Amino acid sequence: MKITRILIIACLVLAACSTEEDGSGTTGGGNSEENFDRGAMLVNWADNIILPSYENFNSETQKLEELTQAFVQNPGDSEMTSLKAQFRSTYVAFQTVSMFDIGQAEQLNFRSFLNTYPLDADAVDSKIASGTYDLALPSSYDEQGFPAMDYLLYGLGSSKEENLAKYASGENAEDYKAYLLDVAERINSLTAEVTASWKGDYRNTFVENTGSSSNGSVDRLSNKYVMYFEKFLRSGKIGFPSGAITGTPSPINVEAYYAEDLSKELYLQALRSSEDFFTGAHFGNTNSGKSYKAYLEALDRGDLANDILAQFDAISSVSTNLDASLRDQVETNNTLMLEAHDELQKEVVLLKLDMLQALSISVDYVDSDGD
Amino acid sequence: MKKLLFSAVIAGLTLVSCSSDDSLGPEGENNNEIPETYNFERDGMSTVDYNGQTTRLQMTAEILSNFNDFDNASEELLLNMFANENSPFVNASLNESSKSVKSKVAASSLYFSTNTVESAEIKNDFESFIIGQMTTVKENKDQLAEAGIAGQIADGERVRYVNEKGLEYNQAFAKGLIGALLLDQIANNYLSQAVLDEGDNRANNDAGITEEGKSYTTMEHKWDEAYGYLYGDPSIPTADPNSVLNESDDHLLFSYLGQVDEDEDFTGIAEETFQAFKAGRAAIVAGDYVERDEQVAIIRENLSTVIAVRAVHYLMGGKDAIEAGNYGKAFHELSEAYGFVYSLRFTNNPVINEPYLLAEDQARIEEQLLAGQGFWDVSPLTLYSISGEIDSRFEFSREEAAE
Repeated sequence: MKITRILIIACLVLAACSTEEDGSGTTGGGNSEENFDRGAMLVNWADNIILPSYENFNSETQKLEELTQAFVQNPGDSEMTSLKAQFRSTYVAFQTVSMFDIGQAEQLNFRSFLNTYPLDADAVDSKIASGTYDLALPSSYDEQGFPAMDYLLYGLGSSKEENLAKYASGENAEDYKAYLLDVAERINSLTAEVTASWKGDYRNTFVENTGSSSNGSVDRLSNKYVMYFEKFLRSGKIGFPSGAITGTPSPINVEAYYAEDLSKELYLQALRSSEDFFTGAHFGNTNSGKSYKAYLEALDRGDLANDILAQFDAISSVSTNLDASLRDQVETNNTLMLEAHDELQKEVVLLKLDMLQALSISVDYVDSDGD
Repeated sequence: MKKLLFSAVIAGLTLVSCSSDDSLGPEGENNNEIPETYNFERDGMSTVDYNGQTTRLQMTAEILSNFNDFDNASEELLLNMFANENSPFVNASLNESSKSVKSKVAASSLYFSTNTVESAEIKNDFESFIIGQMTTVKENKDQLAEAGIAGQIADGERVRYVNEKGLEYNQAFAKGLIGALLLDQIANNYLSQAVLDEGDNRANNDAGITEEGKSYTTMEHKWDEAYGYLYGDPSIPTADPNSVLNESDDHLLFSYLGQVDEDEDFTGIAEETFQAFKAGRAAIVAGDYVERDEQVAIIRENLSTVIAVRAVHYLMGGKDAIEAGNYGKAFHELSEAYGFVYSLRFTNNPVINEPYLLAEDQARIEEQLLAGQGFWDVSPLTLYSISGEIDSRFEFSREEAAE
């Protein structure tokens, strides 16, 4: 709240100054934006980063559905092993698209349906038992998606064998299988819908919306990107589990709580994808194109771009020491989590205050929603 | 964009200069001593007391915290809380109180003392929000809402529960109560001359005759009761309420005063309002009733403006969300708007001592919002023109309020 206010004041001062400076100036965004082709940046984002990331993720969700199908038809040990491996790679791939909450993803509440955690495991149990549920309801965000699969594959018993037995011989085996399959199908169908929109008309809608108003694609996705970094990466993956905000560590808030040794990998992929988006790195190859780094450099703010990159390095170096299971990390040495949080927070300040201000983008989200 | 921001800077500067004029004025004109904080004493004892207002704000908060709890709350429970019957509150001290929210809804001296028919209708409206929530909406709580069908709808990460027209009853209740209870009691009851100057109040105040067993005169106390409806949440310090502006636990008028103050087009409104409360209270201590009533006018105008700014803010927000095809967000914005429009009927234009928006205009606007399938088919143009109708009665533009 406070931060937004400072920003607004800062923007006001800036706006007032620049009006005076370029009295005779051109209409539009002033001298800065003439040196930088925002449209080309949008094209790079859409064609080289967002769409390929979704296509890759969708091929993973497709396999996830197929292997779930195979498992429920024949719930054996090897089928379970294959399914778990696919679950892990799909969940990792999700981290490459989670930040793009715009267009169809936003309309469908894609991220909320796929990855709201902690899971309400009690509600999942009772829905499986009753056999009546509707996963399309927003009140069931925390009963589906990857957190539900995490629970259904890893959390249904004190051992791997016990978990498998729920599907192979348990008295509600059919209900468990049905729920697992419904969850996997829904992950895949929602992903297919979002991917199709990027392959279809939405790509042009997005890249042609080059305006610098708050409704332009650059402003909107930049807000989404920074908000993702702040709320979902910093707070969701590290802040809430470590209790950096509340003062009380909360292991249940760890992503992939039941799979245990997956959480660090998810976090590191999210971090990498955030950095790649900042630098404009293409998905799936070593090329890169225009993104924030180039934009800042064009505005003579290469210093800020370097600070942001250096901070990504600082986050990575403190994060490499984390346990593969952030749940273990929270329970054994939470200090390391808090240190990671502090480095992430420094990056939030650089992105949210300094970068958005340099790009003349106003923050359109607030951290909390009191009502 | 730049131009708008620039004019915002000027508006901000203007506001600042206005408020410094205001605070200089009284000092120059008379010898009322205005303390730094809302701290008034007689013989070493504080004369400020508004526990009854705090009680009603706490009752309201408990009603609202139960409004969407379909598993535990019921129509009966919420209606009991509204009327404070059958010990409905978890906070036991509230049950022991003789006060209730309902008795003070649409109950001001100025607007309702000879208008009990409308007062009863308004009380019924609030009960109908409770009943609708606990019947129609509760029955459909596990269904997706559709045009004509109550249920739930996604608003980003949040779930909203709406009636068949897309209206969230909890928003209608909460935001409507800001006008029907808080603003009505402040602007049209406790700060009205009929109440401040009732009976021998002036003579007693001039002579320093306090109420029996109390440290305050009746007039002082009436003023503090107005103060308490705005600043009476337990999380707000009496002496310096703005020290927790936008950080208190209040969800009613004080919260929205802070949110409006955060918009650079209205920066300073919270400080100016607080200064007016202090200056008016000091004027009562000094027996300067002309000065007192000047401060009343500032408070009435500012708090009425807060209601109107939020009404327009949410109407414009709803318009944008509908244009973006985001119905969940739109319905939430429009539900807030509905409540604030409802509250406009309780505003007070100090020039004429009447609402900025008359009851019949408010009713017509609500009809426009809920016609046909309600929020499902209200057009952006309608929302834009309603915003224009409201802003035309105030000193701000819909664009300023929309930010």
